[in-house]
Formats: sequence, C-alpha cells, structure tokens
Amino acid sequence: MATIKSIQSAYIDYVLTEGHEPKSVYLFAKNNDMTEDEFYRYFGSFEAVEQNIWAEFGKKTITEIKTQEVWPQYSSREKALSFFYSFFELLKGSRSFAIYSLKKQPRGISTPRVLDNLKTIFENFADELVRDGIETGELTDRKFFSKRYKDGLWMQFGFVLKFWTSDNSAGFEKTDEAIEKGLNVTFDLFQRSPIDNLIDYGKFLAKNGGFKEKMGF
Amino acid sequence: MSEDNAKEQNSIPTSKVQRSAKFVKTGFKVGGNYIKHYSKKLFNPDLDRTELNEDNAADIYESLSELKGSALKVAQMLSMDKNILPKAYVDKFSQSQYNAPPLSGPLIVQTFKKYFGKSPEQIYDKFNLKSTNAASIGQVHQAELNGEKLAVKIQYPGVGDSISSDLKLVKPFAFRLLGMSEKELDIYMREVEERLLEETDYELEVRRSIEFSTACSGLNNVVFPKYYPQLSSKRIITMSWLEGQHLREFLQTNPSQELRNQIGQALWDFYNFQQHELRAVHADPHPGNFLITPDGKLGIIDFGCIKEMPEDFYYPFFSLTSTNLLDNKEETIKAFRKLEMILPNDTPKQIEFYHGMYKQMIGLFAKPYMSSTFDFSETAFFDELYGFGEMVSRMPEFKQARGVKHFIYVNRTNFGLYNILHELQAQVRTDTYKPHVMAVV
Repeated sequence: MATIKSIQSAYIDYVLTEGHEPKSVYLFAKNNDMTEDEFYRYFGSFEAVEQNIWAEFGKKTITEIKTQEVWPQYSSREKALSFFYSFFELLKGSRSFAIYSLKKQPRGISTPRVLDNLKTIFENFADELVRDGIETGELTDRKFFSKRYKDGLWMQFGFVLKFWTSDNSAGFEKTDEAIEKGLNVTFDLFQRSPIDNLIDYGKFLAKNGGFKEKMGF
Repeated sequence: MSEDNAKEQNSIPTSKVQRSAKFVKTGFKVGGNYIKHYSKKLFNPDLDRTELNEDNAADIYESLSELKGSALKVAQMLSMDKNILPKAYVDKFSQSQYNAPPLSGPLIVQTFKKYFGKSPEQIYDKFNLKSTNAASIGQVHQAELNGEKLAVKIQYPGVGDSISSDLKLVKPFAFRLLGMSEKELDIYMREVEERLLEETDYELEVRRSIEFSTACSGLNNVVFPKYYPQLSSKRIITMSWLEGQHLREFLQTNPSQELRNQIGQALWDFYNFQQHELRAVHADPHPGNFLITPDGKLGIIDFGCIKEMPEDFYYPFFSLTSTNLLDNKEETIKAFRKLEMILPNDTPKQIEFYHGMYKQMIGLFAKPYMSSTFDFSETAFFDELYGFGEMVSRMPEFKQARGVKHFIYVNRTNFGLYNILHELQAQVRTDTYKPHVMAVV
C-alpha cells in the first residue's frame, strides 16, 4: 500500500537518479508497484509531490524549534533566526533534491511554484511572530506596513534560499552569516527606528508653527 | 576596559581605544561604500566591483595613514621598517572584531548542533546564552558541567574568509603607501595572514593551549585554565572558568608594589621561558589575554597566536642582545646580514649607517637583559624608546623593507610585554630565563 511517505521517497529517488521527473504518473506508479489511483489519492501531479516535500520541511522545522527548551525565552527576532537556522540545517540532508527542485523553476521574482505550500506555512508562522512581537513592543506597529512584515520575512527567506543553493563554503558557514546579518537588518527595520521619529517630527512641523508658510511653500 | 581609565594611561592601551575607534569609523565608511555600490548597481547592473574595492581600500588607507606616527610609534620602534603596516592589520583585525555584534542565541544553538549534533543545554548542565565577554574573534559564554564552572568560547562564522579577503583588498594600497615592491610586501603579508588564520583554528588552539600550559606548569605564580578537547571543535573551545580581574581593574585596586612585582615577574618568566626554552611564544601580549586571580597569580587565557622562532632567527638575534657581540663591529654586521637588516647590495656607506642605527636600537631593546633586575617603572627608558622610534619613523632610510619576517611578531611580543610591565610599574628579575647563545662562527 502506497503512503505519502513512500511516494515522496520514490519520487525523490527517481528525480535524483534520472535528473528529470518521470514521463507520466502511469509509468511512475507502475515502476513502484502501485496503481495510478493510489497516486492520485494523495497528489494531483508531480508538482504537488514537490510542493508537499517542501511544506514538510517547514512543518518539521517549526515543530522542532518549538520543542526547544529555550523557545519560550526567545524574542521574535530570535524565533525567526531559529527557524532559519533549523530549516537550512534540515535542508542540508536533502540538498540535492532542493537544488534539483529549485533549478528547474523559471527564473523570476515571483515565488517558485514548488514553494507555494511552504509559503503558506511560513507566512502563518511569521504572522504569529510579528503579532507576538508587536504585542510585547519588540516590533513597531505601523499603519499599512506592519501587515507587510511577513512579506519582508518571506523575501528574506527566498534570498537566503537562493544564497544557500550557490553557497560552497565549508559547512555552509556563509549561509549562517547571511541569515544572521540579513535577519538582523530586517528586524532592525521592524523596530522603532530614527525614521519613525523623523516622520513623527515632520508631521508635527507640518501641523504646527506655520512651517509651510515660512518656507515659502 | 572603560574609556575613562584608558585616558589616564599614556602608553599603548590608550591608543588602542583610539585605534579601534578609528577603525569603527572606517567600518562605517566601507559600509557606506557598499550601499553606494549597490544603489548604483540597481540602475546599472553591469557595474563591476572595481570602484567599490577602490573606495574601500582608499578609506582603509586613509585611516592607516592617520594612525601612522601616533599609535604605531612603538611598533615602528623595533620593526624600524614597513613592518608597521602588518602591525596595523593585526590590530585592525583583533580590534575591529571587538565591535562585531554579538552572536544571536539561535546561531549559538546552531553552531553547537553543527559540531556536536546537540544543543548547548544537552551538553552542559547550565549554559548562559548571553555572552559575558567578547574574545578577539568570538565571544565567551559561561556554562556549568558536573558542578564545574566553564568558559565556552564561540567563534564568529566567516572570520577566516574575511581575513584573507581583507588583506587582499588592501594590498595594492599598502605597497603604494610604503613604496616597497609587491614581492617584498608579500613576505610580511603572508606572515601576518598565516598567524591570523591560525587564530581561527580552534582545534589547533586547544592542542597548543594544552601543550603550552603543560610545558609552563612549572612556572611560579602562573595558572592556566583546564581545556576540554572533547567539548571543543573547530569553532568552539571549552575550558574551565578562571576567576580574576583584568589588568586595568587590578591596577585600580591599588595593589602593593610587592604584588605588582609578583605579577610582573610571572609575566616575565612566562614570556622568557617560552622564548628561550620552548622557542615558541604566545605572541599576543594584549592585556585582555591575562587575568589576575584573587590569590595574586597570573592567569593566561588565550593561546590563539603562537609564533615559533626558527634557529636561524633565534641565535643571531639573541646573541646580539645577550652578549657583548655588539662591541665587535664585524661580528655584529655579520649577524645583521643574517637577519637581513643589512642587505647584500648595500653600499659601505649604508652599512655604516644601518649598523649604527640598529646597534643603538638593539642596545635599547636589550637593556632589561643587561642587568639581573630591571625596574620597568622607569619612564626614562620608555621615553628613550618612544623618542628613538619617533626619530626613526621620520627617516627616509627606513622606508624600505628590512629585517626578516619573524621580527613582526617577536617585536610585537616583546614590546607588548615591556608595555604591560611598565603599566604594572613592576621591578623584575630579568636573569631567570636567559637567552641561549651559540658562539657565532
């Protein structure tokens, strides 16, 4: 009896040995002693298999980091960092598949389709972090923008993922650096910064003291 | 080390604070250069990095030339040549790293997972995720295992890479600044790069720490932490926690002359035992690498930088300092030639000049060795040193590379030692571990 797991590992094995996806679901099912029907019970297409594999990386990472003893003491920033580090640590074990899966995606700015499910999981997670962060005052609640924080984090994630695929430093140390520096900048921007004060001051001047008239506007 | 008491001192540590400030400034500029580069690149994707590199190097060059003459005076003193430049790098790297932002908790957990497959809580009974100190290229955490207090040093990722790339970046400007050929400069640069890269290898550091602390265990009033190789890796070192004060704090407690002498003596013995018995020396006499324990002993906590002294350097150099060889002009010149302080195609006039200068210089350096005790509180001796260094740094004759590469670290070590002893105002018996000399054939 085929399971999600057995289909996934058979699929990974196939693409990594052959370098391309199976010609058809029929052939794939036949070679793995199952019926097409069994395959379709779990997945609608080969792409769906890949989407599911990626999503599982995400789920597994989140479960793992949340069981860490220090988790409750972490700030939002540290929680995000923890996700990134653990995710890429986990991905290391399936690097060949990850690279295969990402490389065949058309180049573009939009998220590769194989990451669609992962994106949903990531965004839920990020949303939770951002909400917590705003609640504790770690992050600044800004009109319009705070809803976009999670997009910022996803972009950061996409960047690190791309960085990692072409990272050839020992132990992917460069990726660790990219995570540490990148996320720190991102979270610095989410926090109250001089820009907030500047905008605030600007607003004050615009409202008071006839600033406009004096400057001849 | 607060800036306030640094201001009270008038020797090297003051300038160290200033120096690091200088490099922070450079850091900002370099950061700005990257922003400039990437914003330009947004509009012109074909832009290459040449301009960026030039901008960076120019700013680094600028701060180097500002440093020249003030803080580097001491280094110039014995190096007497372009060795000052590598010295600037040595400080740049050790100092600028102090300003690196602390590692985040998750990155620490990640580092442990990578090297041990376990999180720090699984390895130690207690582990403090907040670091207590910055080490030169990493940070130190407190931990506990089986009731013993431990210090765990964790290295910043990517330090090794940035050392090599930064050195490469500055090289073209360095030899323009110094006017020496690339080949000459390379010898010095390689020496510095080698030492700096060794410092990033924590496995090597643990091995050496154990070796050195065992070899030096017979010395009076010197203590070492215990190292745990099974809890150490390429990026992590675990050692027992030494209680104690840093030199600056120790001096603030107004220690008695007797105690200061005791610490000074321990320092002197530690360095001279290594130089003359082990022929390899802890080449980083930075005050931060020492602790003074509550019972008045000297704790040594960092063996990252070790300089080995080959025989063809050791014998000619120390026979100059410890015998009356300097009185014999011909033999002295022979030794200077071996040390490449006098070069094969120097004219007789040049030989005369360099012989005079180097003789004076080595005479100064060797002063503490000449009697059985030496009082390092004597300001006259240090004034003479600085004055001589100042004078030499302005002489065009010393604008070319002279002296074998080993001088860089040997000078740094001995000068660092003299300076710390001066800060301690210690009187020291200097005949405890005498240089070995061979008759010069």
